[in-house]
Amino acid sequence: MSAVLDRPATETPGEDGFLARVTAWVLAVGGAVGLLAATTLTVEKINLLADPDYVPSCSINPVLSCGSVMNTAQAAAFGIPNPLLGIAGFAVVTTLGVLLLARVRLPGWTWLGLQAGATFGVVFVHWLIYQSLYVIGALCPYCMVVWVVTIAIFLYTTLHNLRRLRPSSRLAALASYHSFLLVTWYVVIALAILIRFWDYWSTLL
Amino acid sequence: MTKNLRLTLAMVLVVILAMIGLITINRNRADTPRAAADAGQPVDPAVLVRADSHRLSTAADGKVTLVEFLDFECEACGAVYPAIEEIRDTYGDRITFVVRYFPIPSHPNAELAARAAQAAANQDRFPQMYATLFENQESWGHQRTPQTERFVEYARTIGLDVDRFQRDLDDPATAERVARDRADGETAGVQGTPTFFLNGRQLTEIRTQADMIAAIDAALAG
Repeated sequence: MSAVLDRPATETPGEDGFLARVTAWVLAVGGAVGLLAATTLTVEKINLLADPDYVPSCSINPVLSCGSVMNTAQAAAFGIPNPLLGIAGFAVVTTLGVLLLARVRLPGWTWLGLQAGATFGVVFVHWLIYQSLYVIGALCPYCMVVWVVTIAIFLYTTLHNLRRLRPSSRLAALASYHSFLLVTWYVVIALAILIRFWDYWSTLL
Repeated sequence: MTKNLRLTLAMVLVVILAMIGLITINRNRADTPRAAADAGQPVDPAVLVRADSHRLSTAADGKVTLVEFLDFECEACGAVYPAIEEIRDTYGDRITFVVRYFPIPSHPNAELAARAAQAAANQDRFPQMYATLFENQESWGHQRTPQTERFVEYARTIGLDVDRFQRDLDDPATAERVARDRADGETAGVQGTPTFFLNGRQLTEIRTQADMIAAIDAALAG
């Protein structure tokens, strides 16, 4: 009996099992970090509403500044402040991640739901990255934390679903390069930030 | 080691090396003009102080001239402002103190602030606007939106003709005047703000107010 319970949820051993564990950790930790960032942003937003002269803790200098980012229309893209969406979404991701870490086998449709949420999240985040860099022209540190975790959550969820639903497809083979894909993705965005604010960074070096 | 891990580590390594490379290149570039200044090549005084440059004090003997290239929105400039005020109090008309505009493009209101100072200068109130901008830097700095209304309010407070101030603020000639200062700064090797020149030589080793006073005293004695 106990032997059955102790058996990992994923049947396939080796790389697949490893990737499933990594995905569970990414969801649990990434979700928790995203939740923390979204909560902080919500609290800062409330402080800012209560006192228009309030300087948020993450307004460090003209480039790294959430005050100026939080006061834009883009910060409430769907009519409610973005961090509220984050609190709801990341709470779900964290819960699913923790369940996976506890080796609970999630129903297939949960993974599809997570895929839908993560896809929405990653598209939204890239729109926000574009707005932040090229329209607003400032970076908000807590928002960047959200960018980082959302990309990781999307990538690992997608790779997991590809392996699950189309195990022999070419795309699923990409799963073997999971961390390389993630780092490359981050590097592209870091480069965009570096180039966009080069005037500023070069004064720091 | 799996292929994925090797590729990931390779990517991280490439990024680290690229960063080191960039920093090194930047250091070397930054050191060149500095080295030139240290080697005793003063900048042409005609570039540092133009006929229309703003003098907050003028020494009759013209022996010591301190030039500051500044950005009204730059925090470091705001931080040295009280120290500079004390120095101005101490030395008064024994030194010539010249202020040049050097707005940094990444500061959203820096150029507008420089134009506000210039518009005030057109009505002979540059020192008042200079002081007002720095004393209130915390309230208008860091703002993404143009702070025109606030600057107009400052103009009213220091007793300017507000209509004329607003016209001058938008006058292309005002922007050109600011741009000429910035261009002189670039010619002089200014890379950031605040940058000080004492008798034509860029001060690079100034860390505290005491350093600045020592440098001025040495120049007065020399």
